[in-house]
Parts: sequence; structure tokens; C-alpha cells
Amino acid sequence: MKRKNVQTSAELDNEVEEEEKKRKAKRPSSEDGVVRPLELSRGELYKAPTLEELSRLKEAESLFHCSLLKMQMEELLKEVALSERRKRLADSFVQRVTELLHAVPETPVTEVSDLSWLSVVRVPFLLVPNTTKGKFHMKPPASVSLVGSYPLGTCIKPHVSVDLMVTIPASVLHPMDAINQRYPRKRALYLAGLTEHLLTSPAVGKVQYSCLHGNRLRPILLVTPPGKDAGSLTLRIHPCPPPDFLKPSRFHPQKNNVRTDWFTGLEASQPGDSRYEPATPQYNCSVVGDHLPQAHLQYLTAFSEQCPAFKDGVALLKVWLRQRELDQGTGCFGGFLASMLLAHLLSTHKVNRSMTAYQLLRNSLHFLASTDLTENGITLARNPDSKPSMADFHSMFPVVFVDHSGHLNLCAEMTAFTYKRIQHEALLSVKVWDDPTVDGFQALLMTPKPLIRTYDHVFQLCELGKLQLSCKKLGLMSELMDHSGNYVLAALPFILSLLQRGLGQRVQLLAHSLPLSPEWPVDQDPPKHMNQPPLSFGLLLQPEHATSVLERGPPADSPKAAEFRELWGPLSELRRFQDGGITEAVLWSATSTCQKRLVPQQIITHLLQLHASVPASSVRYVGGQLDSVINLGQELCSTGEEESLRVIQNYDDLSRKLWQLEDLPLSITSVQGAHPALRYTQVIPPVPVRVDYACFIKEKPSHALLPQEDKPCPVYICPIKVICHLEGSGKWPHDHLAIRHVKAAFHIRLGELLHAEHRYTCRPSATHLDVWKDGLVFRIELAYHREPLVLRELISPEGLQQQRDNAEARALELEIQHKPLLTSTLHGLQQQQPCFGTVCRLAKRWLAAQLFSADLSEEAADLLVASLFLQPAPFTSPCSPQVGFLRFLHLLSTFDWKNSPLVVNLNNQLSAAEYTEIKNNFVSTRQSLPVMFIATPTDRKLSMWTQESPSVQMLQRMVMVASESLRVLEAQLMDLKQLQDVRVVFRPPLDVYDVLIHLKIQQVPLVSYAVDRPKKFLRQGTNRGPVADPGGFLPVIDYNPVSKYLKELRDSFGDIALFFYDVYGGKVITVLWKPQAFEPQPFKTSLMNARCVKVTDENVCTVPNVDAILQDFCILGEGLVQNVEPRTKTWTV
Amino acid sequence: MAASARKHASQSCVIPGGFSVLRLKFSADSAAHHQLFVKEHRVRSEKSAKRPLDRTLFVLNIPPYCSKDTVKSMFSKFGTIQSVELTEKPGTSEAAEPKLSECFAPSTKQSQGFSVGYIVFKNSSSVSAAKSHPHDEPLIASTEKRPVKMGINKWIQQYTEMLVPTEKLQKAVDSFMNEYDKRKEKEAEQQRKDEMEQQEDEEGWVKVTKGKRGTKVRPHSERANERTLQKEDKKRKRKELMNFYTWQHRNTQKEHIAELRKKFEEDKQRIALLRAQRKFKPY
Repeated sequence: MKRKNVQTSAELDNEVEEEEKKRKAKRPSSEDGVVRPLELSRGELYKAPTLEELSRLKEAESLFHCSLLKMQMEELLKEVALSERRKRLADSFVQRVTELLHAVPETPVTEVSDLSWLSVVRVPFLLVPNTTKGKFHMKPPASVSLVGSYPLGTCIKPHVSVDLMVTIPASVLHPMDAINQRYPRKRALYLAGLTEHLLTSPAVGKVQYSCLHGNRLRPILLVTPPGKDAGSLTLRIHPCPPPDFLKPSRFHPQKNNVRTDWFTGLEASQPGDSRYEPATPQYNCSVVGDHLPQAHLQYLTAFSEQCPAFKDGVALLKVWLRQRELDQGTGCFGGFLASMLLAHLLSTHKVNRSMTAYQLLRNSLHFLASTDLTENGITLARNPDSKPSMADFHSMFPVVFVDHSGHLNLCAEMTAFTYKRIQHEALLSVKVWDDPTVDGFQALLMTPKPLIRTYDHVFQLCELGKLQLSCKKLGLMSELMDHSGNYVLAALPFILSLLQRGLGQRVQLLAHSLPLSPEWPVDQDPPKHMNQPPLSFGLLLQPEHATSVLERGPPADSPKAAEFRELWGPLSELRRFQDGGITEAVLWSATSTCQKRLVPQQIITHLLQLHASVPASSVRYVGGQLDSVINLGQELCSTGEEESLRVIQNYDDLSRKLWQLEDLPLSITSVQGAHPALRYTQVIPPVPVRVDYACFIKEKPSHALLPQEDKPCPVYICPIKVICHLEGSGKWPHDHLAIRHVKAAFHIRLGELLHAEHRYTCRPSATHLDVWKDGLVFRIELAYHREPLVLRELISPEGLQQQRDNAEARALELEIQHKPLLTSTLHGLQQQQPCFGTVCRLAKRWLAAQLFSADLSEEAADLLVASLFLQPAPFTSPCSPQVGFLRFLHLLSTFDWKNSPLVVNLNNQLSAAEYTEIKNNFVSTRQSLPVMFIATPTDRKLSMWTQESPSVQMLQRMVMVASESLRVLEAQLMDLKQLQDVRVVFRPPLDVYDVLIHLKIQQVPLVSYAVDRPKKFLRQGTNRGPVADPGGFLPVIDYNPVSKYLKELRDSFGDIALFFYDVYGGKVITVLWKPQAFEPQPFKTSLMNARCVKVTDENVCTVPNVDAILQDFCILGEGLVQNVEPRTKTWTV
Repeated sequence: MAASARKHASQSCVIPGGFSVLRLKFSADSAAHHQLFVKEHRVRSEKSAKRPLDRTLFVLNIPPYCSKDTVKSMFSKFGTIQSVELTEKPGTSEAAEPKLSECFAPSTKQSQGFSVGYIVFKNSSSVSAAKSHPHDEPLIASTEKRPVKMGINKWIQQYTEMLVPTEKLQKAVDSFMNEYDKRKEKEAEQQRKDEMEQQEDEEGWVKVTKGKRGTKVRPHSERANERTLQKEDKKRKRKELMNFYTWQHRNTQKEHIAELRKKFEEDKQRIALLRAQRKFKPY
């Protein structure tokens, strides 16, 4: 397959190249992969349109949002369509195999149970129970013909499979073979016979058994061509009975065809009377299904000929299904069902024959979204008499879609939950389609939705053998018989409905993975049911209810109380509530937010244990694995939500007190937070501390504490920035220096007032006022809204007053205007999406841990995460930190930063027209914009948070590391066999760096929050216990030796090397030399820093003085640096 | 460099370009050393009193741990030093800004990296003494007598210095504001005088001076100009008739088609680009 892809891609590239050449002749653009604004000549634009062109333009305008979508669809279809070469390959291979199959030698008649005639291959059938009556012999097939998607023309890449139907000669079968799995067993024997014959020929490559959609009654043979074409296609051989061999009426869904006494081996009370036997709808369906492939093909071909876009429509639908992992496995909505669905829509005139593929897809999604096949099934049959009624089908199957013969339910194996999932997806897609601000094509057809990235929580049932017990406990004997002993499939619907009852309002959707069809070598017995890979379930949580710790049931005396008690078992208790009601209730134990998030886990393990005897050890719940990374490392298990909340409550209190101050010369017009902690997104939210005075020097005059040289670095107290705007007044000076001095005077005055009224220790300075309040430090900065204007003002020599932008004014505006606005907006988002903050914190922790924090600002990271919540298409807004974080990594690694702006529609302020405006503006000025462009309603043209960084190289690396992290993390979360340590993705690879500077951990203030925490506890000058009263000495604020060291390093050696550091407690600074700095340069007075000269004859060139630089690393960081480790292997001077 | 150094042992090392190379060590026991490049200051255009041409030594590549004082103490062995100036880049000294008290000096501007020095000696002989300093006798920045505080010690000192007592801050603010007020008052007075001069006297005469034209009461601004221009534009637009004549109607239709065409072409380009990046592979 892979090889083939390479080839096709080469073909395609050629094509593209040719086209490029043509294009180049016209205009030399789009070479570097950037869309540029187009320059068309006037003549070209205004020439008279032809009729054809006019209609094409009109169609594009009216049908699609723009012609882009139409072209995208066309391109996609081209991409998935089979190439002529592959078709030829398939045809010739089919012909060869057909010839081989016709030459199958006959064997003498033997008992079915006698397998001695098979030498190499095994029978692809689990022979339980072992006894079968009947005779069997091999005979060449009555006919061999193509069926399924290939002859219909709806077969698409990848996994091209061609279905070959082999009709078993009537003489091999017996009319009574319908019962007790005789027919399926003979079918399996026949398949084994064919296999043995095929193995003798060199014309076939790899040969494997599998079964159709995981149905063990219908084994199939997978044959690939020999040699280099092995990957390009798979031939699937289905043995089938002659058409109409067995009467369809025998397989009415309510009839029994597997006898209990045969299946259990026990004598039943009334042997032989099928009226008292339980119905076997699944078994019946699989036998009937074997009779019909040819008929289905004919039926569909008729439609495909009528409707020209039928094939493309099916192809698009198949891509859509495949991206949602709905097209494979037991109970899937495969390509065949997709074609049948379109046939239904065509036959009921819900779609028109002349519609385009795009319209067909849209209408079928609309149909799926609005029709509930679990309640009102649909049928393709014309004259319903003498066939089972819809009611019969509904009584036996959860989902009903009857084919044109009227006897087969095409959705027989589908669970109601799978259908609900399809409906949910379809509904979501239709919504996305109607939203003009979303790139529908990307969301619907191009984004894969794997289980782990789609659902908020995921859990797996690991040891499936345990489900045997569950079947017994749930009393599922007849279902087990119907599913011919497949206890996983028999128990699945019951487990699902049990969980749905228990989870109730907490989930929007309960989905499960479709068990994949096993594949096994022909010389081995089929794998046992218990050896299947684990079954995965996904929960889409309802944020309002999911974390509730209380399950309130009905009043004690109501009839439903017994039901409630039965469901919850011993956990159900009578409780009296504040509203006076006495009801049954279950209380789950959870105190902190992170524990509450895992209440569904408690429910699931409890219910499975109680009702299905699945032990907690075989339920693997994936939902809180990442919590440990942002755990604040205290006794209480908390991931920082409570701490963030406390900071914000404290801030609210302070802001109220600020508003109430009366004696300020000018009044305060607004108090706004401008710190990540005030929007719940600070990775390590500030924790109130109680300072231990003994660890510091007390400085009496300024009433502050000072750090001591010989003691470990004190705890890092992060000042929380608050911006207070003062009212405008004519008294404000019109000069920026004077404004700064006036502000300083206000800081002093404000500090005096706060101290006088509330006893807070304050320290005013020229730029801010630090307030020590309840163990936290708030840094109040007063602002005057006209200050940026004053900074920009310039009087030209002619006396004209001009506004000129400058860096200082921009920086100030960012601080006093944009940061507070962003903070309050994101604070609002957190109120709607409770896990927004936690996802941000995970994302920023990852960025810092991978040493990117200097390259991507906190605000930019927050906006990236916000975009996941505001524009989740094709997903729903994340409701758990885990899924949010995975999608963050996915966004970072797949977004096309080069050609598209990321628009974050905060507060839903942007309309569709404004979106287009932003995009157009982006395209026309791409060259001058930052590499990573993030637009918000207040910042449409500049992307202010990513102006400085990241650079192209860093963004590239970020993308690379993100995709790798995502791969590793998803594999870990979904696969039990992988190393179970999520911290792996939070440890940066150090081997790419040139120098490592190891730090003394005593001097790293945040070391106790590092990803890998030190084992021993460091005393950082704090006491346990409650926070002291207001007043007292001001603690050491914002003193972080590492950041000072980093600043000095970057100042000194910024043009020679890059420095990377994990700001959240990293123990090592990594250094990367800049390659261009190491090339010998001519002597230049402006370029001599940290370089030494090399004189060769008359030429003087300079190179960095590496030994001295390495020594400077030590000198600058005296007391902080443990050692400097040069990795001489990776660089030379 | 190494070769020339060995040849003239205990001599100065002069490289092409006229610079002499001096070695600099942080402390006596440091192993590696930096190279200082010194030369007499000689710039034709500059005639600054601060950097007299004959007595100024121009020093390149001064490491970050050398403060003004350190440089002074290191170079004082060549002669008495009048002043030391350290800047980030070689060039003319910046125009003196209004002097601010230390609590208001912008902290961001202080670079802590490598610097360029202009050392002004009392005597011009010191310059040549420095230039001919033997190459293998390194200068030493941190001696026992004058230890240079680095790392943790330095940062703690910085933190301590940052704690300015409130009274001092208040004093700084007060003195600045007093000065500012005085300046403003003076300016206002000047303006009043100018206005007075421009007014007619009793007999109706206006004194016309050569003085600047911008002494109007309100300085006109760029923005106001723009605003008036916009207003005029709007007025003109309002008068125009749209889609009134047939040719106008035809033109709009033409424009519409041209617009669609342009979009179509743009989309085509985008698609070609995406195809080239293989963006249409769904999986």
C-alpha cells in the first residue's frame, strides 16, 4: 500500500509540476507555498463571458460558499479514486484467481466433522459445539463473480478490496443445512478447501483468513497479489450458496434456527419444537445475507446508472464515515450501507437524480441526522406482503434498515448506540456546514476523529474473557446462542444500556469502538473471542451534570425507588435534603475538581462490578492520566482549580476595596486583572504563603525582607498584575515623563490609603504598587488612557501635530489595554467552559517543558486553546482537560500556518463577512505578517501576541515536537502495552543541544513544581499553617535568579547562541549555537562581542571565543550554576 | 594570532586594522580569557568634548561582568583616568536626555551584555601605554582588593537596591514636578507673549515677525486634516447617482463578473498550491 502511494504521489507530482510550469509561464508566483494576491490583466477580467463560464460561476456562487469548496471536493475525489493502473491490476488478478478457483479438485464425500482431507490449512471456524451432522465434499464452484463496491465503481483508496463471490455448488449443500450452523460450517469448510488449492499456486501472494464485519459465521479469505503489488489491493473471497437455495421465509427474524439442545448439549424439555425456542435474528440475518450479494449489486447498479453522481456521492460518504471510524468492524456503517442509503434516498425521491455529489452527501447527512432508525426503520422493499413486517424487525433489532428483498436487515449487527453516534456526527456535520465561518471541507472530510481525541473520557474493557461471566450473570443464554457463542457481542448491548442508565444526564453520548475483524494465518485456528483487543468506550460529557457528586433518585415511597435501588445496589441510601424531600440517593466521594471529574469512572466501575461482574481491574479508565502533571504537589489531590479560584476571590475582594477608596485625587474608573492567574490559566497558580522570617534578612527602613546568599532561594512569589485606570482630567500633564511621575505619586498615595484603611503592607515604586494581601502579592499599576497617545504624539517642524507609532507606545498599550481585555474575555470563557483553564495550563506546561515558553507568549497559547473551545468543529467543545490537550497538540501540529490565519472569535463578535475580510487582508499582506497569525475581534490585522516570536524555525520545531508528542501520548493512552508514563511527553529531548548548563536545584525557586519533582522537600522560607493577618514585612517578591541569569545570558550572547529553559522548575538551561555566528567573519568593530581574532597572513577573521564564553556561563551564574556541560560531539569550532 | 604572539613574546600584539589585542581574565585563577581590542579614538566627524581625540582609548569587546568601576580600576595602571563611558555599540554618544532620578531611569535600557568603552585619560601618553601593553600579561577584572560580585550575590544586591524607600520616591516626584511646573509656566508665558504680539494694537497694527508660524493657539493636527478630507469625500459620494444610467448598470454587472472571475482564479491558485502540498489526502 505504502509503496503504491509513493508511486501515485510521484505521478501526481509530475502532473503538478507540469501544471506549475504552465503557470510559471503566466506568472511567477506560488513557488514557496504561499498564496499571493492575484494580478489579472484588465483584459482578462473584463472580457465577455461565455455562457458556459457564466453558468459555472453562478453555480459556484449559489451552491457552495465559494468555488473553493467545489474544487476541493473535486480534488478529494481525484485523490481517493482508483487509478487506471490499479484497476487493470485488479482485473487481471481477479481473472487469474477465478481460473484457479474453477480448477479446484473434487474430493470424496466425507462427514462434516472429518477434517482429515485438509492437510495444511485449518478451518476458519470456531467449532463450538463440536458436533455437526451432514456430509461434505469439495467441488469446483458453480460460478465466480465480482460483487460489492468494485464492480459498482464506489471502491476508494486506501485499503482497496475487491469482493469475489464464489457460489458453492448446490450438491454440496443440503436443504436442511439452515439449522444449527450446518450451512456456515460447510461454507467454512468450502473456504478451507479453496484456500488449500490457492496455496499451491504461485499466482497468489499472502493469504489470510478474516471474517466479514467480524461475524464469525461468515469467514472470508483475503488474498493479495504476489510480489510488489501486494500492498495495492486485497481480494476478498466470499463463498455463497446458490441464489434462492434456502427459502428466505425460514429466516424470518422471529424464527429459531439454532436449537438449544444442540447448542448447550443438554436435552431441552420439548426437543424439536422450534416454537418454544428463542428466536435467532442475528444468525438468520447472516445466512440470508449470504444469498443476496448478487441481487444487491444489481439493485445498486440500476441506481448508479440513473444518477451520474451516485459513485462520487458514495465515495464522499465513505470518506466521511472513515474519518469517524464508523466504516469498519462489527456493526459498522460501511460503504455498502452508504450506497444502500443513497439508493433509498433516490427511490423515495428525497434526492434528485441530477444532484451533484456534494448535494448527495449533504442530503444523506441531513437524512441521517433527522431520521431515527431505532424507532422508525426504513425499507427498500416494494410489496411488503408475505414478508416480515417492520414491527417484526423492530422487535428483534435495535436498528432497522431492510433491503429490497424484504428479508434482510442491513443494520442487523449495529447497536442502537452506534446509530446514535452516527446521528450525532451527522447532526454536527450539518451544523458545521451551515456555519460560513468554518472551513467545512476541512472539518467534514479531512480531519480524522479517532476515539481518544473525540470523546472527553475513554475507558477500555481489557480482559474480554471476563464477559463470559457477565453473560451468565445477565442471563444472556439465548443471545449467546444467537451470536453463536460470541459473548463479547452478546453482552455489549446490555452493558451499554446499563451504563447509559447509570450515567444518565452526565453524558451526551456514549459511544463504543467497533470490534475489528480479526485476521489470522490460514494454518492456524481462528483466534478466541477472549484474545480480541480491548473494547473502547467513549463518553461525551455534559459539563453541567458530569461532575455532580450526588445521584438523586426518586422519593422513597415511589414505585421507581425499587428500580433505583436495584441499579445502584448497596450504594443507594435514603437521604433527607434541604428542600424537605426524602429520597433515595447515591453520594460519590470527591472533593476537589479533579476528583469530581472522575465521578463517571466511579459510576462505571461500580455498575460493571455490580451487574456484569467485571472487576475494576479490567476496566481501564482514561480520563485523569494527565492530572499529575499539573498537580500542585500538596497533600490534597488538586490540579489547581481551587487555587485559581481562591486567587480570583482574593482579587475580587481587593478590587471591591479599591473601588471604595474615596480620598484619591482622581477616581478609579476601572479595575482589571492582567495576569494569567486572573483568567484561570496560570500553570502554577499563586498559593497563599506564610513567610518564615527566620530565613530572611529584615530590612527595617523599607519594611521588607531580603533573600540571603547562603540560604536556598526563597519561595517564588508571583506578583499578580492588576491595572487600574484613573479618570481623565484636564490636570493630567501632556508629557510622558510628567505622566510617569504623576502616576508614581498616585502609587504612593494609593499605598498609603490601603495601608491606613485595610492594614495591607504596600510598597510603591515608580511603575507599580505591590500590595501584600492574605499571602498573595498584587501588583497594581495605575494607567492613564491617553498615555499611549501622548507617547505617539510628535510635532513636525511645520507645527503639524502627528501621530507616529513607536515600540514604547505599543508596549504600553498592550499592557494597559489589550492584556486586561483579553484577561476579562477569557475569564468569561472559563465561566462557560469549566475546563478551559485547565487545558490552557496543560498546554502551557507542555510548551514550557518542551522549552518553547520563550517563543510562544502566554497570551498566544491561551488564544490557541480558546480557539479549540470556540471553534471545535468537527468535534464538540472539549469537556475534559485530557481531550482538550490532545486537540491542542493536534491543532499545533496540523494547522496550516503559512496559508491561513487562525481566527479566534472571542465573544462571537465576528460575522462571516468580517471573517472573509480578515482572510483577504491576511492573504494580501502575508509577507509582512508574523509566521503564526492569530486574529481576534479586537486585533484583526496585526496578531499582536505573536509579533516577536515564534520564528519560522521555532514554529517548525514546535510543530514537529507537537506531532511526535501527540503520537506518543495517544499510543500510551489507548494501548495498555505501552509504557504508562505521560510525563514522557513533558521531557524535552536534550541531545540536539550544544551545551547544557546544569543549575543548583536549591537556587531554582520553582523546582518543587518541576515535571520530575525532587525527592526531598526543600525549605523555601515558608511555614505551614494559615496565612497571617494583614501587615507584617513585605516578602521577597518576584525574585527569580534563573530568569535574571537567562536575561544576562541572552543580553550577552544573544547573537551567538539561543538559550532554552523550562520556566516551571527546569533544572537545566540548554544552549544552541547559532550556526551563522560560527562562520569566520572579517574584523568589524560592530561585530566583535565575545569573539577572538585569528590572523592568517594579512587576513584577520574572527570566531567566537568559545572557551571564554563557556567560562562566562559559569561566572555570570555564580552560585546558581552547578556545572556547564559542553557536548563537544555536536559542534566544532 | 597565536603565531604572532609567540614571535613577539612579552610584546604587544597588533593586528591589521590598528587594534592591539589585550587579554582579560575574570580572576587570577580563571583558565580562559577574553580579548580586548584597543585603539586610540579617532573619528573625523566627531568633535565631542567628552571624547577628546588624543586622550581617548577606544576598547572593544568588554565582557558583561566589567562595570565602569571595574574598567576604571583595570586601566588605571596605564595612567590617571578622567572618565569612562560604556555603550552597547560604537558610535556617537547619545544626546543627553533630561536627567531622571534613579527610580525613574528605565531599567529595560540597561543592557547587561558586552559593551564598547571610551576611556578618557588625563594624559595622551597613557593611550599608547595601553596599546603597547604586553599581550601575555592579562588584565584581571576581579581581584582580591576589588572583588566583582556576580551571580546570586549580584542579584541579591540588585534586589536590595530596587527597594526604594517611599520618602525618596516622593522626593524625586516632587522635585521633578516642581521643575516641570516651572517649565510649563515659562512656556505658557512665552506663548502669551507671542499672542500678544500678534494682536492688533490700539491703532490696528500687527507686528509681523520672522518667528515660526506654528504659534497659533491650537496646533493643527494631522488627524483633523484627514477628517475634513473624509467629510468632503462623503459629500461628493452622496451627490453621485448609482445605477441610474444604462452604462452604469452594465458596468456594475461587469464588475460583478470580474469579481467572481477573480475569486475563481484565486481559488484555483489556492487549490493548486494545496494539491502541491498533498493537502487532499484525507488519511
